[in-house]
Amino acid sequence: MNAEILRELRMAVMSYDAMKAEELVRRAVDEGLDPLACADVLTEAIREVGDKFEEGELFLPDLMAAASVLERATPILKREIERSGKKMRNLGRVVIGTVFGDIHSIGKTLVAALLTAAGFEVIDLGVNVKASEFIDAVKRYDPDILAMSALLTTTAPEQRKVIEALERENLRGKVKIMVGGGPITQEFAEDIGADGYAATAPEAVKLAEKLIGEKG
Amino acid sequence: MRKGFMRKIKPLEILTKEQVEAIHRGTLDILERTGVRFEDDRALKFLEDSGCHVDYKERRVRFPSHLVEESIRRCPSSFYVKARDPEDDMRIGGNTLYFMSFAGLRICDPYTGETRAPTLAENDEAVRISDALENLDCFPSYTPYFEIEGVEPPMLCPISTASRIRNSTKISRSAQIADAPIWDIKMAEVVGMQMLGNMEASPPLTYYEDATKAAFKFGEVGFPVYIASGGVMGGSAPATIVGSTISNNAEMLAAVVMLQLIRPGIGIVANDFVFPMNMRNGSPHFGSLGCSLHQMIFNQIWHGYYGIPTVNAAAGASNSKLVDYQNGYEKMFVALTAALSGANIIALHGGVTAELSYHPIQAILDDDIACLVGRTIEGVEVTPETMAIEVINEVGPIPGHFLDKEHTRRWWKKEHFMPKAADMLSYPEWLRKGRKKALEYAKDRMEEILKTHKPKPLSEDENREIDEILREAREYYKEREML
Repeated sequence: MNAEILRELRMAVMSYDAMKAEELVRRAVDEGLDPLACADVLTEAIREVGDKFEEGELFLPDLMAAASVLERATPILKREIERSGKKMRNLGRVVIGTVFGDIHSIGKTLVAALLTAAGFEVIDLGVNVKASEFIDAVKRYDPDILAMSALLTTTAPEQRKVIEALERENLRGKVKIMVGGGPITQEFAEDIGADGYAATAPEAVKLAEKLIGEKG
Repeated sequence: MRKGFMRKIKPLEILTKEQVEAIHRGTLDILERTGVRFEDDRALKFLEDSGCHVDYKERRVRFPSHLVEESIRRCPSSFYVKARDPEDDMRIGGNTLYFMSFAGLRICDPYTGETRAPTLAENDEAVRISDALENLDCFPSYTPYFEIEGVEPPMLCPISTASRIRNSTKISRSAQIADAPIWDIKMAEVVGMQMLGNMEASPPLTYYEDATKAAFKFGEVGFPVYIASGGVMGGSAPATIVGSTISNNAEMLAAVVMLQLIRPGIGIVANDFVFPMNMRNGSPHFGSLGCSLHQMIFNQIWHGYYGIPTVNAAAGASNSKLVDYQNGYEKMFVALTAALSGANIIALHGGVTAELSYHPIQAILDDDIACLVGRTIEGVEVTPETMAIEVINEVGPIPGHFLDKEHTRRWWKKEHFMPKAADMLSYPEWLRKGRKKALEYAKDRMEEILKTHKPKPLSEDENREIDEILREAREYYKEREML
C-alpha cells in the first residue's frame, strides 16, 4: 500500500496531475505514511523532470506543470512534518527577483518554482526590484543566496549595481550571488563579481545546491 | 517620396469573414470585461475622463466597445512622415510596401557567429551602409546596434538616434524607454524631420509608465505612432495562434483608443511582434511557422478589416547564429508571407540572430530578399507590349528566337531581377573565379558602399545643436542617478 502510494505520487508529478497529487498526499497523511518519504518522492520526481528537460525530452511547460504539482502537494506535507516535530528538508534560503526597470517574470518565476520544489525556501520579491529593495531583503531575511534575473541589456547593469551596493553595506560576504536572464553570460557574471551564472532553470537549481555546499 | 513597392495583387486571406468577426468580437469582450492595466496615474485619469471604466485599486481600464470601434475608424488608412530629405519621405499604409531595418544587440562575425559590442564608429558605418540600400526605407529605434561599446544604457537611445540622423536621411522610429522621446523630438526638430513615435505594451494586458508617457509626448508633437506588443505564445500570450491574436489585439487596441483620444486622427501603424516561445530556452522563436501564420492573420485583421497600416517585424532575424542557409530560409519565409498577406512595412534588413546580433553584410543580402518579395506583390503588367503577341507572331516557330529582338532588349532588365549579392555565375566560371558565395559578394558590396556612398551631411550648426542635446541628455540622466 505504501509503495503503491509513493509510486502513484511520482506518476502524478510526471503526468502533471496536481489534484491527484494532493489527493494522494492527503491519503498518505491519513494512513500515517512517513511524510518525509513522500516529500523525497516529490523532489526526486521533479529532479527527473529537470533531467529530461536538460536532455531535450521535456520542455518548459513541463517544468512549470511539474512545479505546480509540488506547489499544491508540498504545503500539506510540510504541515504534517512540522506537526510531528520533524523538519522539512530545507536546503537553504533564497531571495530572488527581477531587477529594476525589468518586468520579465516568467524565467524568474520558473527558477523560484524549481528551487522551492528542490527544497529551498524561496522569497520572491517580484519584478522591477530596486537595488535598495534587494539590500533590505538581504538584511531582513538573511538568505544564503541572492538570485537576480534580467532580461534586457539595458537592465543587466542593475545586477552589478546591487552587488556594489551590497559591498558598500558590508553585506557581500553574507550571501552567495547567482545571476541569470537572456543577455547574461558567464563572462558578465564573472565581470560583475557574481558567484555563479545559470543558463536554464534546472541549471539554476544545481548551481544553488553547489553554492550552498560552498557556504559550508 | 520613397516609392516602396506598389501592391497590385489581392492580399492573401487565410481567415473567412466570419472568423475575423469572431476574433474581433473576442477582442472587444476582453477589453470590455477584463480590461488592461495601466501603471501611469495620468493615463488612468485621462481614460476615465474620456469614457472608460477605471478601477483605481486594480489600476484596470475597461473599454466600452463603441469607443474601441470609433477609435479604429479614426485611424487614417495611410499617413505621411516627413524625412530629412524629401526623397526619403514616406506615406505609410494603403497599397504600399516598405522595408525597415532590423537591429541586434551586438555585431557578429558573419562566418563564426561570435558576437561583441560594436564601437560607435561601427554603428555609424552600419547606418551609412543602410542609407545606401535601395530597398531599405526606414529604421526602427536603437538600431543597428542596441549595445555600443562605452555607451551607458540610458544614453544608448539618444546616441543611436543621433548616429542615424547624421549618417542617413531615412526616417527613424523613436523609442519609449527612459525618456528617450524628449531627446528624439528635440533632435528631429533641429533637422526639420518627423519620426515615428513608439508605444509598446507589456503583455499580457499591461502598459507601464514609459509607454503612456511616450504616447502623450508623441501626441503632443504630432508624430505618427508605431504601436506594438511583443507577446510570446505560451508565455505572455496564449499558446494558440488565434488566442495570441486576440490578446495581442486587445493590448494594441487599448493603445489605439488612447492615442486617438490624445490626438484625434493621429497616424498609427501597428506592428506584429508576436512569436511562439521556443520551449527549449524560453526565447521568442523567430523565423517560425507561428510568426508567419500570426502575421498573416494580423494583416488581414488590422490592414484588411480595421483599415490600419501594419508592420511585420518577425522577418528581421533568424535563430541561426550565422549568415547561412537557415538564416536565408527563415527570413525569406516570414517576409514573403508578410507581404502576400498585406503588410505595409516589413522589418527585415540586417538582423542575424534573433535580436542578439546584426551585421551590414546581412543587410546587403536582405536587400535582395526585399526586392524579390516586393516585386512579387507588384505582380505583372498585362499590356499589348508585355503580351508580345506581335513579336511572337514575328518570331514564329524554330529557327526563330527572341534573343536578338528589340523587345527583349527593352524588357528583360525591367521584367526580371538580378540580385546584387548572389552567385549568378555558371559552374566553370565559378570554379575559375574562386568559388565565391553570396556572403562574399555582399562583403564586396559593403566595402564598395563604404568607399563611395556619402549620405547627405548635417550642417555645422545642426551638428552642434545635436551635440548640445546629447550633452543635455547626459546631464538629465546624471541628475537622476541613471549614469
